[in-house]
Amino acid sequence: MLNRIFDTVWGQANALFYPFRRRRAVDLFVVLIGLAILFGLVQLGRQLTAVHRPVVEISLSPWALPKYTFFSMMRGLAAYVMSLLFTLVYAFWAAKDARAEKLLVPILDILQSIPVLGFMPGVVLALVALFPGSNIGLELAAVVMIFTGQAWNMTFSLYHSLKSVPGDMQEAATVYGFNWWQRFKWVELPYGTTGLVWNSMMSMAGGWFFLMITEGFKLGEQDFRLPGLGSYMSVAVEKGNSVAMIAAVLAMIAMIVFLDQIIWRPVVVWAQRFRVEETAQAEAPQSWLLMYLRRSRLLRWMEIRMSRHRNASRQQRRKSTAPRHHSIHWWSLQRWASNAAFAALVVLVVFASFRLIHFLTHLQGAQWWTLLKAGGLTLARVLGATALGTLWAVPAGLAIGLSPRLSKLLQPIVQVAASFPAPMLFPVVIAALAHIHIGLNYGCVVLMLLGTQWYILFNVIAGAMAIPGDLKEAAEAFRFPTWQRMKVLYLPAVFPYLVTGWVTAAGGAWNASIVAEYYDLKGQTLSTFGLGSTVSAAAYNRELPLLAAGVLVMSAIVVIFNRLVWKPLHHLSQTRYSLTK
Amino acid sequence: MTMTTPILELRGVQKSFDRGMGNTLRVLEDINLDVRPNEVIALIGPSGCGKSTILRIFAGLIEPTKGQVRYRGKKQSGLNSNVSIVFQGFALYPWMTVEANVEAVLRAKGVDEATLKERTNKAIRMVGLEGFEEAYPRELSGGMKQRVGMARALSVDPEILFMDEPFSQVDALTAEGLRAEILDIWDDRERNPASILMVSHDIKEVAYMADRIVVLSANPGRVRTIVENPLPRPRDTRSPEFLRLVDKLHDIITSAELPDILVTTVESSVESHELVEPLPYALNADMLGLLEFLMAQGGNCDLFQVVNHTHVPFEKVLTIVKGLEMLGFVDTPKRSVELTVLGRQFVEADMDQRKLIWRDQLLELKLFRMVREQLELHEGKLRKEELVQEIADRLPMENAEQTFDTLVAWGRFAELFAYREEKEILTYE
Repeated sequence: MLNRIFDTVWGQANALFYPFRRRRAVDLFVVLIGLAILFGLVQLGRQLTAVHRPVVEISLSPWALPKYTFFSMMRGLAAYVMSLLFTLVYAFWAAKDARAEKLLVPILDILQSIPVLGFMPGVVLALVALFPGSNIGLELAAVVMIFTGQAWNMTFSLYHSLKSVPGDMQEAATVYGFNWWQRFKWVELPYGTTGLVWNSMMSMAGGWFFLMITEGFKLGEQDFRLPGLGSYMSVAVEKGNSVAMIAAVLAMIAMIVFLDQIIWRPVVVWAQRFRVEETAQAEAPQSWLLMYLRRSRLLRWMEIRMSRHRNASRQQRRKSTAPRHHSIHWWSLQRWASNAAFAALVVLVVFASFRLIHFLTHLQGAQWWTLLKAGGLTLARVLGATALGTLWAVPAGLAIGLSPRLSKLLQPIVQVAASFPAPMLFPVVIAALAHIHIGLNYGCVVLMLLGTQWYILFNVIAGAMAIPGDLKEAAEAFRFPTWQRMKVLYLPAVFPYLVTGWVTAAGGAWNASIVAEYYDLKGQTLSTFGLGSTVSAAAYNRELPLLAAGVLVMSAIVVIFNRLVWKPLHHLSQTRYSLTK
Repeated sequence: MTMTTPILELRGVQKSFDRGMGNTLRVLEDINLDVRPNEVIALIGPSGCGKSTILRIFAGLIEPTKGQVRYRGKKQSGLNSNVSIVFQGFALYPWMTVEANVEAVLRAKGVDEATLKERTNKAIRMVGLEGFEEAYPRELSGGMKQRVGMARALSVDPEILFMDEPFSQVDALTAEGLRAEILDIWDDRERNPASILMVSHDIKEVAYMADRIVVLSANPGRVRTIVENPLPRPRDTRSPEFLRLVDKLHDIITSAELPDILVTTVESSVESHELVEPLPYALNADMLGLLEFLMAQGGNCDLFQVVNHTHVPFEKVLTIVKGLEMLGFVDTPKRSVELTVLGRQFVEADMDQRKLIWRDQLLELKLFRMVREQLELHEGKLRKEELVQEIADRLPMENAEQTFDTLVAWGRFAELFAYREEKEILTYE
C-alpha cells in the first residue's frame, strides 16, 4: 500500500519535472554546440591568416587529429556553401533564360566530366598568386577543388526540378501575381528541395574523394600542403606509419557519421515537408537531433524574436515603398542584366576555347595517338570495375534489400562506406595486391572498384526495397523457382536503379583512375599506362598542354559514352522497366 | 435600363497551338463571348472544345492568336488582376500550411502585415476551414483541399471568380455542398465576386449553378449556342422545370455530337480522296462494356439513362457511342441508343468471331485502309512519327497523338497490326 502511494507520488513528481529538465538539457546542449563552433572558427581564422610557410609540418600524433579533422570538415562545408550558391544562381539562370540555357547545360555536362586534377594547377597557381602573404589563397584553392567535386550534380538536380514544376502550380503563381522572388522562394525552390537535399548528401560524399590530393598536392617542385585530415593521411602513407593511417581512417569515419547525424539526418527530416507526392511513405525518416532541437526553448524563443523582427522590417519596407509603379523600368533593367550576363558568358566560353586551342597546338600528333590509346585502356578498366562491381553488388543488394531486417541493419553502413574516400584505403590494397603478384596494370581496376562498387550496391538495395509487395506475392503465389523469379521480377524491377548506379559508378571510376593509376606510396610513385596516370603526371610535372589535352580526351570519352550508352539505357529503364507508369 | 455593359468580352478570338513539325492545332475559332455583372456563366462541351483555353484567355494567362479580350470595354493585355482561379487539380503548394497558402497570395498582392492575418482568417472562415489553419494540404481530403483553393481565390477579393472544373476531383456528396456554398458567397450583392465563370462537364452542375450556359462544339471549339437559365434560386434539382432544362441541354449536346443525319464536314481545301474519318477517343474495353450493357437492357436505352445507370460521365458516354456508331454496332435515333443487327451478332459471338467482325468493320473506315497502305508502303515497318504526321495532314483539326492512340487500341484488338511501344513502330500482326 505504502509502496503504491510512494510510487504514485514519485511518478507524479517526476512527470512534473520531466519536461522542464529535458528542455534545460537541450538548451545547454545548444549553447555548447554554439561555443564549440565559435572555438573552431577562431582556430580556423588563425590558420587562415597565418603566414604562408614553404613547408607545413604535419604532426602524426593522434592528438593532432581532432584539429586536422575539424579543418578538413570546415573546408568541406565551405565548399558545400559555395556549391549551394553556385547551384542556386546557375540552375536558376539556366532554367529561366532560354537563350543562355543552350550554352549553360552543355557547359555543365562538360564540367561534370572534368576530373578534379584538370582544375587543379590553374586554380592553385592563380589563387596563391592572389594572396601571396598568407594561407588564404591556398585554403581557397583547396575549397574550390572540393567544390569541383560537389557542385555539378546538385546544379543538375535543381535545374531539372525548376524545369518540371507542375503547370498548375506555376499558373496559380501567375494568376495571383507572384513576383520572381516570391515565385522562387514559395514555388520553385521548395519544389526542388527534396532532390537538392539528396544530391547534397551525395555531393558532400563525393567532395571527400580527393581530400588527400586537395590538401597535399605538389606541382613540380612546389609543395602546397595544408593541415588537415587528407594531408595527415598522405604523410602517414608516405612515412608508412600504419598506426597513423588507421587513426586517420577512424577519424574520417567519425567525421562522416558526425556530419550525417548532425547535418544530413535533420535536414532530410526537415525536407519531408517538401514532398510533393500525396501518398504516405512506408517509413518516415527520423532524426534524434531534430527531435531534441524542436524541444529547445532557447531556439523557440530566438525563432519568435526573429519572426517579430522580420514582420516589423517588412512593415517598414511597405511604408517606405509607396505603390510600386516601376514595372516597365524594372523590365528593361532585367532585360539589360540578362543580356549582359549572356554576353559575359559568351566571352568567357570564347576566351576559354582560345586558351585551350592555344595549349593544344603545342602537342604533336603522336602524343594525341598515345592519349587516345591511354583513353581506350582506361575506359576498359572503368568498364571492368563497373562489371566487377555489378557482379557482386546485384546479388548482395537483392539479398539485403529484400530482407527488411538486413536492410535496416546494413543500409547505414553502406551509406558510410559510400561516403568514405577510397584513396585512403589504397595503400592497404596495393600491399595486398603486391603480395599476390598483381601489378598496378590490373590492380588499379580493383582500386577503382573500391570507390565505385558502393554506388551500385546502394542503388540495388533501394531498388529491391521498392519492389511492390503485390508483385512479390504474385511470384510467391505462382511458385516461381528462384532463377525465374530473378529473371521475371527482381532483375527487371531493379534495372532502373541499376542504371543510375552504373552511371554514378562509372563517373566515379573515371575520377578514381587519376589516383588509381598513379599513386605515391612511401616516397615512390607507382604508376601504369592509362589516361588517369597521364593526366596525373602532367599535373604534377606542370606540363599544362598535355594536361589540357588529357582532360579534353577524358571529357570527350565520358560525354560520348554518356550519350551513346547510358542515355539509351536510362530511356529504356524509364519506359519499359518503370514500375510507376 | 439598357443591357449592362459586360465586365469581360472576347471578340473574334481564335487560338492555335504549335504542335511541332510545322503542325498547328486550331483549338478555338471565332469565339464571341461576354461575362456580365452579377451572373454565373458556365462553359460546357465535349473534350477538345477548348473550354479551359477560353477561361485562360479571359484570365490573360494565354494570349489569343487572333481577336481581342476586353475588360470593361478596354483592350486587356496581360494578366487581369481582378480575376482569381479555382483550379481543377487544386494547385495548392504542398509545403505550405492552409494558412500559409492563403497568406502567400495576399502577400503577393501587397497586403500590409496588419490586415494580412485578418483577411486570411476571414477567407478561411468563409469556406468553413477554421481549425485547419495549421494543416498541410496532404492531410486533407479532396473536398477540403478545394475549400483551401476557394479560400485562396476569395481572399484577394476578386471581381470575377473563375472555376476550372472545380469539383471534378471531389467526391459527389462533398461537391453537392460546395456548389451551394459558392452560390451563397456569390449571392451576397454587397461583396465580391460579382460574377463567376465556370468550366464544367457536368450538365446537372451547370443547370444548378449557371444563369447562362454556353454550349461549345469541338474541333475546333466554337460557341454552338447559349442557353438562358431563368429558374429561381435556390434551385430544386427534382423540379420538373429543372429536369426539362437538363433534358434540353442533353438534346443540344447529343444532336451536335450524334447527328441523326450523317453530315460530313468537308474542308474544301482538302482533296476528298485524302479525307479520313476522325476517331472518337474511345477505348475498346469501354465500347464492349456498353454493348453488353445495351444487350442487358433489351437492345436499346435512353442516353441519359445510360449515364444514370453506369455513372460514366455524359461526355464519355457520348464518345463511346460515337465510336460504336462509326463501326455500325449501334444507331442513335433522337436521344436513344439501340443495337443494330450487326451489334447483336457481335455481342453474341465468341471472341474469335468478334475479332473478325471488328476487323471487317475497321476496314470499312478510310483511316484504317490508309494505315494498311502506309504499312505496305513502308514494307511492314511504319514509324509512329510518320503515321502521326500523316494523320495530322489528313485531319488538321484533330489531335493527331490522341487519334493515333485510339487507332492503335482498335487495330490491336482487330489484330490488324501490331505496335511495339518502346521502338514506336507499327508492324504486321
